[in-house]
Amino acid sequence: MSHAISRTSRMSQSGCPSGLSADKNISSSATQVIVKTAGNQKDFMVADDISVRQFKEMLLAHFQCQMDQLVLVFMGRLLKDHDTLSQRGIMDGHTIYLVIMSKHGSRSLAHSFQDLPMNDPCHWNRNTKGNSSGVHQPTGMNQAPVELAHFVGPDAPKVHTQNLEVSHPEHKAQMLENPSIQRLLSNMEFMRQFISEHLDTQQLMQQNPEVSHLLDNSEILWQTLELARNLAMIQEIIQIQQPSQNLEYPLNPQLYLGLETVPGGNNALGQNCADINDQMLNSMQYPFGGNPFTALLAGQVLEQVQPAPQHPATRVIYNSSGGLSSNTSVSDTPNKVNHTSKANTPAGIPALPSIELTQQLQEEYKDATVSLSSSRQILEGDLQLSDEQTSSHITGGMMQSLMNTPYLAAQIMLFMSMPQLSEQWRQQLPTFLQQTQISDLLIA
Amino acid sequence: MEPPNLYPVKLYVYDLSKGLARRLSPIMLGEGEGARHTSIVVHKDEFFFGSGGISSCPPGGTLLGPPDSVVDVGSTEVTEEIFLEYLSSLGESLFRGEAYNLFEHNCNTFSNEVAQFLTGRKIPSYITDLPSEVLSTPFGQALRPLLDSIQIQPPGGSSVGRPNGQS
Repeated sequence: MSHAISRTSRMSQSGCPSGLSADKNISSSATQVIVKTAGNQKDFMVADDISVRQFKEMLLAHFQCQMDQLVLVFMGRLLKDHDTLSQRGIMDGHTIYLVIMSKHGSRSLAHSFQDLPMNDPCHWNRNTKGNSSGVHQPTGMNQAPVELAHFVGPDAPKVHTQNLEVSHPEHKAQMLENPSIQRLLSNMEFMRQFISEHLDTQQLMQQNPEVSHLLDNSEILWQTLELARNLAMIQEIIQIQQPSQNLEYPLNPQLYLGLETVPGGNNALGQNCADINDQMLNSMQYPFGGNPFTALLAGQVLEQVQPAPQHPATRVIYNSSGGLSSNTSVSDTPNKVNHTSKANTPAGIPALPSIELTQQLQEEYKDATVSLSSSRQILEGDLQLSDEQTSSHITGGMMQSLMNTPYLAAQIMLFMSMPQLSEQWRQQLPTFLQQTQISDLLIA
Repeated sequence: MEPPNLYPVKLYVYDLSKGLARRLSPIMLGEGEGARHTSIVVHKDEFFFGSGGISSCPPGGTLLGPPDSVVDVGSTEVTEEIFLEYLSSLGESLFRGEAYNLFEHNCNTFSNEVAQFLTGRKIPSYITDLPSEVLSTPFGQALRPLLDSIQIQPPGGSSVGRPNGQS
C-alpha cells in the first residue's frame, strides 16, 4: 500500500499519449503520480499545473471508457474537473485512486429515475406497467433502452475489470449479475417488447399462439421467467442428487416450494398434461381474480391453490424450465456480445427468459444470490459436460409444456412464494425423489 | 458549487479471541493482542473481507456483534455509488474470496486498502502488523502451515459485488 511501488513497464506508455506532460517546460515541475485502480496501477508523469480534466483525458487513453465514467479520488476527496492537481495537494509520488463507473450509472438500489432519451424503437405500453407489481418500479423504463443500446452496441465499454466476453458461462453469469442488466431485464414492458420483436419469438408465436399469450402478458412473463430460473435450480438439485448425492451447495429455499405438492405425482405424468393444465387453469383463475401476481409479489399465502391434479404438471413444468435454463447455457455459450438479443436458435426465447429469471431472482432474493450464482455456474459447468444429453431429452417436450401452460407457470410461482412449504418439501425431498424416480421422468 | 458531502469512515475492530489471546499471547506469541478482525463502516454499512469475498452488513451486524473498539479513520467525499463500484471491482480483482489468506491477505488488508481509498489514511499499524509479529516468533512459524489454512468469514453479511451491492 506504500507509494514506493515498483514501476511497471507501462512507464513508457504513460508518457506517450499526453501532449500535456513531460515534453513541455517540465524540467522541475514534472510530477509523477500513481493512478491506482482496483486491481492495477500505473504511473503517470504530468505537469504540475495540469488540470484534473486534462489528467482525465490522459487516462482515457489508457482505460477504454468515457470521460464521465472516470472518478478520481485523492485523500478521500473527489477531484473535480476544474481543479488542478497541485491545488488538491497532489505531489510527486502520491497515489490517486481511479474508479471507472459502469456506464449505466447508479448501482444503488434506490433506482434513481433518469429521463434518458428513448433511442430504442420499442413502443412501450405503459398501461400494463401499472399492473405490474410494486417491485418493478418504473425505474428501468427509460434507462432500459439506453442500456440496451449500450449492451447491443459492439463497442459497449465496461468497467475494465469486468469481462464482457460471454463465451464462458462464468462471464455470462457475471454479465447477468450486472445491475444494469438486472434493471433492463426487470423491466417487463421492455422485455416484452423486446421478445415480441425478436424474429424467433415471432416465429414461435405464429406456431404456438399460447406463446404469444405468455409473452404478451408481462406479469405472466415475469412469473414464468422466475419460475424457469428457479426450476434451473431444481433441475440442478435433481441432477446433483442423482449422480453424486452431493448437497453441499446451498440451494434456494424457494426451489423447494411447489414440489411439495407433488407427492406421488409420478404416475400422473402418464396422463395427458394438457388435461391437467386445463384443470389448473380453471382452478387457478377463480382464487386469484384479477392479478394473481400482485398477490404473489405481496407475499401472500395462497393456500387455496393446492389441488392435487396440478402436481404432475407441476413437475413437468419444473423439468421444462430446468431444460430451459440448461438450454440457455448451451445455446448461449457461443454467443459473444449480447446473449439475449443474439440467440439464434428457437431455444433463444427460453434462453432469454432464463437469463432474465436469473436477474429477477437475484434482485428479489438477495440472500439466495450467492447460492444461485454459484449453483448456476455449477449448473452451467455440468451442462457443458453433458450438454447434448440435457438439451436433447430435457428440452424438447419441456419447452412446449412450459409454453403451453403459462398459468401453470404462474401457479408454480405462487407456490414458491410460500415459505411454509419449504420445510415440508425439504423433508419430503429425499424420499420423494427416490420414490418418484425422477431421472426416468426427465428422460422420458 | 455545492459543498461536498462528507461521510464519516470508521474502522470497527473485533477481538476474535475475546481477550483470551491477550492472556495467552505473551506466553506464546510474545506480543500483541491476538487475532483481530476489522471492517470498514461507511454509508451506514459495514464492509469486510473474508473467505467468502467482500461482504457487507448493517454496522455490527455480523455474528461477532458490536465491535470491541471503533477507530475514526476520517471522512470521505466518495459517494455510496462510487464506493460500491469500487468494491465491485476490488471483489473481482484483488479481493476475491479465494484470495483470502489469514496472514498475508486478510480482512485487515482489505480494511487498510479501503481506508486509503476513502480517506488516504491507513489503519493503525498495530492491526496490520500483527501477522508479521506472530510470524516472527518461533511458535508462530511452527504453526504457520496450520494457520495458513484458517479462513475467517464472519457470518451475517451479504456479498458485495456485481450481483447486487448492499445498499
